[in-house]
Parts: sequence; C-alpha cells; structure tokens
Amino acid sequence: MTLVAFVLSVILGIGSLAMGYYQAGQFDPARWFVWLGVVWILSHWRKYYCVSSLAFFLTIIGAAYGIWNQFAAPWMLLGALGGLLGWDSSDFARRIGYAAPTDDVVGMERRHLERLGIVAALGFGLSLASLFIHIQRLAFEVAVGLVLLAALGLTRLVLGLRRY
Amino acid sequence: MSRSLLLSLVAYSLLLAGIATVRGEFIALALPLVVYLLAGFLFAPDEIKLEATRHLSAERVSPNSEVTVTVTLTNRGSHLEEVLIEDIVPADLTIRSGLNRHLIRLPKGKDSTYTFSYRVAGPRGGYGFESVRARINDQLRLASREVQIEAKGQLFVFPPVTRLRHVAIRPRRTRVYAGSIPARVGGTGTEFFGVREYHPGDPPRAINWRASAHEEDILYSNEFQQERVADVGVILDGRTRTNEFARGHSLFEHSVQAAAALADALLTQGNRVGMLVYAAYLRWTIPGYGKIQREKILYSLAHARPGGSDVFADLERLPTRLFPPESQIIMVSPLHEDDLSPLVQMRAQGYQVLIVSPNPVKFELSYLPKNRNVELAARVIQMERALLLQKVQRAGIQVLDWDVSEPFDQVVKKRLSRPPAWLRAIGR
Repeated sequence: MTLVAFVLSVILGIGSLAMGYYQAGQFDPARWFVWLGVVWILSHWRKYYCVSSLAFFLTIIGAAYGIWNQFAAPWMLLGALGGLLGWDSSDFARRIGYAAPTDDVVGMERRHLERLGIVAALGFGLSLASLFIHIQRLAFEVAVGLVLLAALGLTRLVLGLRRY
Repeated sequence: MSRSLLLSLVAYSLLLAGIATVRGEFIALALPLVVYLLAGFLFAPDEIKLEATRHLSAERVSPNSEVTVTVTLTNRGSHLEEVLIEDIVPADLTIRSGLNRHLIRLPKGKDSTYTFSYRVAGPRGGYGFESVRARINDQLRLASREVQIEAKGQLFVFPPVTRLRHVAIRPRRTRVYAGSIPARVGGTGTEFFGVREYHPGDPPRAINWRASAHEEDILYSNEFQQERVADVGVILDGRTRTNEFARGHSLFEHSVQAAAALADALLTQGNRVGMLVYAAYLRWTIPGYGKIQREKILYSLAHARPGGSDVFADLERLPTRLFPPESQIIMVSPLHEDDLSPLVQMRAQGYQVLIVSPNPVKFELSYLPKNRNVELAARVIQMERALLLQKVQRAGIQVLDWDVSEPFDQVVKKRLSRPPAWLRAIGR
C-alpha cells in the first residue's frame, strides 16, 4: 500500500512539474524531471533512501523556479506536494521494513495514509485558496508583518519539534 | 539532517523568497510544508512513559539449549502511534526463532501492553539482558525520540557436567567429617587397616580370631581405615599459551568440562571443594560443600575465558596459599614445559597433586592434515611431552593424560576410579 502511494506521489509530483515546464516551453527541464522521477523510484527500489531527501529538495527547487518564472502555479504546487508526499512515503516504507511479519503493518499503513491524505488535502486547499483569494486592501507592510509572524510561529513549531 | 530541520529550512526559504520578491505564490508553495510541520507537532505524543518486564523460561541451561525470552511492554503515558522496539540481545547469543524487533502501536488505556517472545541459544557463558530500546515516532516522524527501558534478566549457560562415579584421591590430610576418602587413620570403615588389641565394646565380629589364636590371653580386633572428607582445590588453567592453537582451535572447553565434572563428583562425595581459574586474572571460588558450592563453581566456570597476561604467563604466580596445607590439588591443564618447576615446588610444599592434562598433541593432530611432516612433528612433540610427564610423575605427582577424543568419564573410570570394597576383595 505504501509502495503504491509512493509511486503515485512521485508520478503526481514529477508529472505536474514536467507538465508545468512543458506548457511553458521548457522541454529539456521537463525531461530532466522525468529522469529525476525514474531515478527516485529506482533508488527507492534499491533501498538508497537518502536519494529521497535530495529528490524532494530538487522538486521544491523546481517548483520555486517555476513560480519565479511565472509558470502555471497549480502545477508547481502539485509538484511540491507530490515531492512532499513521495518523501514521506519513502521514509515510511523504510520504517515499516523494520517490522516483524507478525506486526500489524497493514493497519499502520492505513492509518498513516489517512493522516497523510488529510494533511495533503489541507495543505493543498490552503495553498490554492491563497493563490486565488486576494485581499486587495492589505498593505505591503501588513503583509510583511503577517509573514514575519508566520515565520515566528514556524520557529516556535520547529523548536517544539526539535525539543521533543 | 533530521526531517523537521530539512522541512523547516525549505519552508523558511520559501517564506523569505515570498517577502523578497513580493510574490504570494512562494508563500502558497510553503503552506503544505507548514501544514505538514504543524501536523507533526500536533500528532507528537505528550508524555512518554514506558515500562518493560522480562521473563526467561530458564535461567540456568546447558550450552545451545533454547531459552524463551518474553518481554512485555506497558504504556503508561500518552498514545504512541509508532514505536519501534528492539530488545538488546547480549553478544554471543543467537536468536533461534522469533524476532527481537517489532514495530507496534501502543494506545493509551486498557490495550496498552504488548508482549513478544523469541528463543535464544548460546555457548557457555553468563549473559545479562539489560534493556529494551524503543524509538518513538509520531506518524510523520517529525518528532522522534529513542529511550532505553530497563528490563533486566540473567542467563547462565553452564558447562555440561559429566557424571563421574568415583574419583579416587589420597590427600595427606583429611577433615573430621565422615566421607569416602581413606584417612590413613584406624577406626570404623570398610577397608582393612590393621590389627590392634581388643578393647571392651568392640563388636564380636571385629575380633580377628586367626591373630588371637597365636596368644593365650590376648584378643585382637580388626581395625578399618576411617573414611573422611577432604579439602580439594581444583585449578583450571586458562592461559592462552597452553590452550589456544592455530586456526582458532582451543582445548579450553575440554578443560572446563573436565573441571566441572571433577568438581561435581568431589562435591557429591561430600568434600570441600574450591575452584581457581588461572587465566588473564585469577578467579577464586572459596571452598565449600554441597549444592550451593556446585552452583558457585558452575557460575565461575560459566564466566571462565582463556586469557593471557605477562603476570600469569607461567605458574610461578600460582597462589598455593589459598589451598589448605597438605590438601588435594587437582590441576586441569594441557601443561607447558615451563610448568615443571612450579608443580614440583607445589608437591614439595606437601600438597597431593593430581594433574588432568588434555593432550594438546593428539588434539592438534585431529584437525591437521595427515602427511609425513605433520606426523614427524607430532612424534617429536609427543616425545617431549612424554618426557615432561615422566619428570612430573617422578616428582610424586599423579598425571592423567587425557586424549580429548575419548569421553572424560571413561578415562576417569579407567584411571582414577576406586572400585568398591567387595570388588577389590575379589581381586577385580
């Protein structure tokens, strides 16, 4: 189940990025993304799990570059989300590899995918909403203040996670 | 790099890019990552409070016997979604069936216990189980912590004890309690000791009528040799130079088995037995009687390992003062040519010494290829060894040269057993 989720996530992420770049006329980078997807899946099959982090990072970089060059933002968002899901699934697959044959792996996979699905849907929904809902009267200073506030909250969040 | 750190760095970079370029799309790109981080924080368990108990199906076993290890983990803290538990198995023990690692979910409440078991076996030794390692993750593995939960347990793999029927020893001095060792003193016993003048109170069947017939007025009584218990010190030679051979072959396990069998037999006869393991360091078991002493000696033998040190390279440092004067010393050693002088010295101090010597030449020959060179070398070394044993015997030391391919009990029966009185009486 996790393996299927991983492959689907990689296809979603890499396919979206490739499509976004292809639509923008960037054929070579689109092909490179396809190769990245193939390498990612093959390395997972060969249990080189560290490649997964690198591939995730490259998908984010690719999505950010696409945003910078004003390619279609939904494709870029889907690319980043697919990268995130692929990265998570790859790590989870590695973790369940430690389980004994008698352990309830199927139940764990099901619960993990449920939660991951909720997180992905929420993240994607919020991103889409932020793309399409614009508050025109928001001053730049206020926007910067809000972003700094978000950064502060993020810092607290990360510190909380690291302290654990 | 941890997952939360990587994710936060990426999210920060996107936020900064959004501010720097005044483009909301970058911030929109960061939002799924922030939601992921937030979910990790929300799903992380509040309190980790795990307890573990361990049960071993047996704590004292013979080598390679299987023991079932059962570990029960109880969660007294908050709900734990993903716990990777691994019971730390001491080195040298091998898992025969089952697994010591499990990935589980430990909810809070009545289903908060998890029990797993596996079977282990191992060679002679003492093994201590200390703790269970648990790695606790939230579902997204953003918050991860490893804890060691104490769950102690001990397993002793004792050397196999061969039952010996009787080990005949003749120490110069015995103790006061009745036993089975001839005490060189007249009294009650089974073995004829001599004839003395009849004392009132002697049973009529003790009168030696043949001797009494020589005198008109005097009656003579038979006197028997008293049988008592004795002090016995068993020395196990664990020096690497005498026990270890090429290609990882070792005589030490045979020596340990012989020491265990002798100690067991002597304790069964009622003697007071002490044990000294002479290897890289000295391991001394104070002399004692009975089953408790047997356990102590087996415990000491379970931990015995061959070793070498400059201090104990030869037998010069053997602390003979540990053994009572004129007691019996049984030394289990393959022997080295340098050992002659200390052994003679020990004998000169008044100890009755018996050497049980696993034959290293025959042992090495058993696994070396059969060719002329090997045979010639074996003959030379065997002659040197025979010469050494001859010198030792000349010093009044009893030697049992043991070819380890023969069972130890049969060798002892042939060379060291003392047949019962009735068998001796008929000359068998």
